[in-house]
Amino acid sequence: MVRVEEPAKGGFSFDLCRRNAMLEKQGVHAPKCLKTGTTIVGLIYKDGVILGADTRATEGSIVADKNCEKIHKLAANIYCCGAGTAADTENVTDMVSSQLELHRYATGRNSRVVTALTMLKSHLFRYQGYVSAALVLGGYDVTGPHLHAVYPHGSTDTLPFATMGSGSLAAMAMFESRYKEDMTKEEGMALVAAAICSGIFNDLGSGSNVDLCIITKDGVEFLRNFQQPNPRTYVSKRGYSFAKGHTAILSTKVIPLREQVTIEEGDGMAE
Amino acid sequence: MSIFEYNGSAVVAMVGKNCFAIACDRRLGVQLQTVATDFQRVFKIHDKLYIGLSGLITDVQTLHQRLQFRHKLYHLREERNMKPATFASLVSSILYEKRFGPYLCQPVIAGLDEDAKPFICAMDSLGAKELAKDFVVGGTASESLYGACESMYKPDMEPEELFEVIAQALLSSVDRDCLSGWGGIVYVVSPDQVIVRTLKGRMD
Amino acid sequence: MEPWTPDWTKSPHSMGTTIMALQYDGGVILGADSRTSTGAYVANRASDKITCLTDYVYLCRSGSAADSQIISDYVRYFLNQHTIQLGRPATVKTAATLVRELSYQNKSFLEAGLIVGGWDKYDGGSIYAIPLGGTALKLPFATGGSGSSYLYGFLDQAWKEGMSKEEAEALVVKAVSLAMARDSGSGGVVRTVVINEQGVTRNFYAGDKLPLWHEEIPRQNSLLETFTEAEPMRT
Repeated sequence: MVRVEEPAKGGFSFDLCRRNAMLEKQGVHAPKCLKTGTTIVGLIYKDGVILGADTRATEGSIVADKNCEKIHKLAANIYCCGAGTAADTENVTDMVSSQLELHRYATGRNSRVVTALTMLKSHLFRYQGYVSAALVLGGYDVTGPHLHAVYPHGSTDTLPFATMGSGSLAAMAMFESRYKEDMTKEEGMALVAAAICSGIFNDLGSGSNVDLCIITKDGVEFLRNFQQPNPRTYVSKRGYSFAKGHTAILSTKVIPLREQVTIEEGDGMAE
Repeated sequence: MSIFEYNGSAVVAMVGKNCFAIACDRRLGVQLQTVATDFQRVFKIHDKLYIGLSGLITDVQTLHQRLQFRHKLYHLREERNMKPATFASLVSSILYEKRFGPYLCQPVIAGLDEDAKPFICAMDSLGAKELAKDFVVGGTASESLYGACESMYKPDMEPEELFEVIAQALLSSVDRDCLSGWGGIVYVVSPDQVIVRTLKGRMD
Repeated sequence: MEPWTPDWTKSPHSMGTTIMALQYDGGVILGADSRTSTGAYVANRASDKITCLTDYVYLCRSGSAADSQIISDYVRYFLNQHTIQLGRPATVKTAATLVRELSYQNKSFLEAGLIVGGWDKYDGGSIYAIPLGGTALKLPFATGGSGSSYLYGFLDQAWKEGMSKEEAEALVVKAVSLAMARDSGSGGVVRTVVINEQGVTRNFYAGDKLPLWHEEIPRQNSLLETFTEAEPMRT
């Protein structure tokens, strides 16, 4: 029987595991995958929650992305910072955000932070830490502001301030020395930015810019690249220029592209 | 040895003004032995969407076939081409499905969407998207490509200049990588035409 | 793994813990420290290891944080359903049986030492210790976690039948603080939960207000403050 490939229905597929294990046994190693050696933080202040993240993505010791986004949207009132394997944080948060959307349609109510928390922790627990996503989850719902830390093995903490990722010690040092209850928005933003900067400058896995996300009862303020403490100083603005025809070429082929035919109007086929 | 070093590769994509370029080297090796010098790792998905796949060649070919199949299926159902961002999500989900036994390759996707806005994206073998506004790289020469592109790239280049920059970046990078080289092939895609050029490079 | 990625980023979250529970005249008292660690890093210094299962039954958790949380989540869910179906509160024994069942059936996957304590109208205050393998022991007093090894002898000596609530709570705080002083896996604050016919009372004992034991030093100001408070240097 011919097996026709069908689009995946969801879930993981393990059919290359044995081959890859065989390669590994022969001393051929799998490539390093994208990690976010990260500093991510969050705190609760007077009117809500502030989340913060650096913007460096690493692949081994290479900086793969100098300005990536680590604060993911789960719902209009819930955001989530991700550290660990980039593919895992991305997919776990995407999955939960779609589940939350369906849940809103089913219940007709705004999403709650505990719902997101339960979805995240049950997925992560099921995979026993192999889905390596460490998250800082923050949001404002009908029961007020919430901040949670979610670990790859599926355990969770509920805290007034939380840090995660390889820069979490540096960031926690800032929080432990300067955090106080009921801070103003400005104080909170300054402290979160200071914590992220402490990760950026003291942890090699974290770097580049500071992203902030302020969640209150009235809405969300997403401040992408709130601070840019590491501007590019090398290479002039003009860059290098190469004269046309500078590069040695063996062959050139120019393929003109036709306009795609678009049907503006028309009736459906009928019998 | 990393599995990437088994075949060797260099793939790069760059954004220009209303256009993009994607290029790869032409070597196929089995470790240090060169097997083919007219090889290609950049594949056309449709007129304005290309994917470069670095890594283990068996997986590159398998993945390319699956992606082409999925795009054809989409074309039959929807009677239109996939947007680059949609295609990137498709690649990402196909890769993440094999999270615990991945395809051993890293894709580089480049395309133009309907209003001629260029889109580029790189991924790791698990499908983590890395969206960039300037350039993305992959393969054994990726470290030197990062350096070359970082200094040679500038924003809003016209197709002809974009070609020179990507070609120079590719050629200078593969010169510092034993496992890739033998010239390259560059696709420069603008809304009305595609320029395909093969580059002359070192043959050692 | 990258050379600089610290090992605690991958190692599971575990609660090197001191938890305990004891019966007194009229109810039970549960006590716990508040330290959650990953390797050498204190991931949470104010965690709550005494979780609510029903209005009158609480659970002390030790071992893997993820495992013990998932057990308590399931048991809370089952007991809620059970309470609604029966139309009366679940007994401590029922709660303990559920915890034991989950621990036993999944013993090869789990690493959680638990103590169930609570009050019901049939048995009064009762305590069940459910250690690693998934056995349930009905005891007048129980300890768990890495700090428990420091407490067995002490409790054998100090626990007496028919203690008053005040005596019992003082004993819990004393015992947990003793363990916190000797066990590197335990620390932070002491939390207690008192459960009797009248209901539940939660108490909190701040870390710097706890009694000091042998060779412990009082809380110091930070070094910087110590320097500024010191006599100005003269030449």
